Amino acid sequence: MRIVSGGVTDLGRVRTNNEDCFRIVESLNLFVLADGMGGEAHGEVASAMAVETVVKSCIEMGNDAGATLIGASEPTWSEKAKRLTSAVHLANRNIYNAAEANPDQHGMGATLTAAWIDGARLSIAHVGDSRAYLLRSGNLQQLTRDHSLVAEQVRRGILTAAEAEESEMQSVLLRALGALPDIEVDTDEHILFARDILMLCCDGLTRMVTEPEIAGTLQAETDPTRAAEKLIALANERGGVDNITVIVVRVGAESKGWFSWLFGGRKKAARNGAAGGS
Amino acid sequence: MAKLSLMFEEKTVKEVPVGSRPVSIGRSPDNDLPVDNLAVSNYHARVYFEGGRLVVEDLDSLNGTFVNDLRVERATLHDGDSIWIGKHHIKVDASGDAPVPWDTGRKASAPRINETMVLDTKARREMLQQAAATGERVQFAAGRLKVPTLVVIGGRTDQKEYMLTNKLTVIGKSAMATVKVKGWFKPAMAAQINQRDDGYYIGPGDKMPLVNGAAITGPVRLNDGDVIEVSGVRMNFVYRE
Repeated sequence: MRIVSGGVTDLGRVRTNNEDCFRIVESLNLFVLADGMGGEAHGEVASAMAVETVVKSCIEMGNDAGATLIGASEPTWSEKAKRLTSAVHLANRNIYNAAEANPDQHGMGATLTAAWIDGARLSIAHVGDSRAYLLRSGNLQQLTRDHSLVAEQVRRGILTAAEAEESEMQSVLLRALGALPDIEVDTDEHILFARDILMLCCDGLTRMVTEPEIAGTLQAETDPTRAAEKLIALANERGGVDNITVIVVRVGAESKGWFSWLFGGRKKAARNGAAGGS
Repeated sequence: MAKLSLMFEEKTVKEVPVGSRPVSIGRSPDNDLPVDNLAVSNYHARVYFEGGRLVVEDLDSLNGTFVNDLRVERATLHDGDSIWIGKHHIKVDASGDAPVPWDTGRKASAPRINETMVLDTKARREMLQQAAATGERVQFAAGRLKVPTLVVIGGRTDQKEYMLTNKLTVIGKSAMATVKVKGWFKPAMAAQINQRDDGYYIGPGDKMPLVNGAAITGPVRLNDGDVIEVSGVRMNFVYRE
């Protein structure tokens, strides 16, 4: 799979500091986004720690086949999914321990949404209310479940989706990194197809911009960075009440031309076949 | 005048009025409302009037301040609210005063929350687990867990039946599709079926599928017994026990 990606983070129109953090590791096709919380500058500390720990841990484990994995994992998961999940558990511990060791930072935490693409396989690990979306044939599908009180109330039929959008409880999370010494991580795997578009974003986007607008922007703007910029501009037009971070990842069509066939097309096809063999 | 009553179990420990000066709450004896418990921080929280509203503010306490079960950093208080600090609670009596309502347009039922926060104490987790258990009982009250299944009733596919266990299902010729359609000139991805919180939705791929004979225009929620047609394949969507 040919992957093109871009990410942008923005202060928004109201906040004075940016507590979001993201990293794109192109060589690994690893995409990580976190939204921090906690007073003073501690949200920034937590989100940076979350992103750095996940990235570092994925890189290190990539070089060590026998690396110890933290936290529960399913036998059906790919090696990448296990590593990514373990990295999120580690990030939780690091933030929790830092907050325990430093009374100033007590209560700091972060959401985290991470995607790792290996061949055609997409592994996603997630905690909190940042989101991963997949746009496929014009159909926008949320891949993650928000770990927020209002989302849980909608799932239980206590609130309607419209009431949830009006709710003043939108900021109450049921899960976040750093709140508890151990945490449940949502991990999921999907097979990607040519022309799929993956988007990771924090709630600063999804509270301001509707899903049809997201789908429309991702389809209209083919450059990932410019698509992210346009979505952020739209969120700011609506008030930009929170920091906004967007990562856009476009999955290219497998080139089947003569040249690509001659220069490694066969090898590529074989690798994709193996990745999709579940 | 608004009044705060510090309660331990059902016993009133102390009552103080809230005036122009903030009421301080904490373990240290120099607080207006001293709370003698190790779970309470020295200077735990304070309550004061701001723009006609009665407000509680947590002073970065270790174990947190809760208004009616929700952890808050700052929240508007209403008559009858309870502020929980450790094992003590403080009853809010705002009935005696009639401040100019600052927030008439707002819903007054819930405390206003400005910052993102996590519900993190054992009690809140238990509450949520209870809610989860209730939710699941309601959802599956009719019987055992039901598995959405596609039963092929026409056309060539690699299997006769598919249990939809993944969030994303692709119908098409691709080797990576869940439902592999056989034959010449079939699209790699003809259609998709995606799981959402409230059920399974069929959406277009390279083709617009038919549901019960009618072409869809966007994602459509599938009901038990629906017939799907796409790329020469007919399938029945059913919930199996």
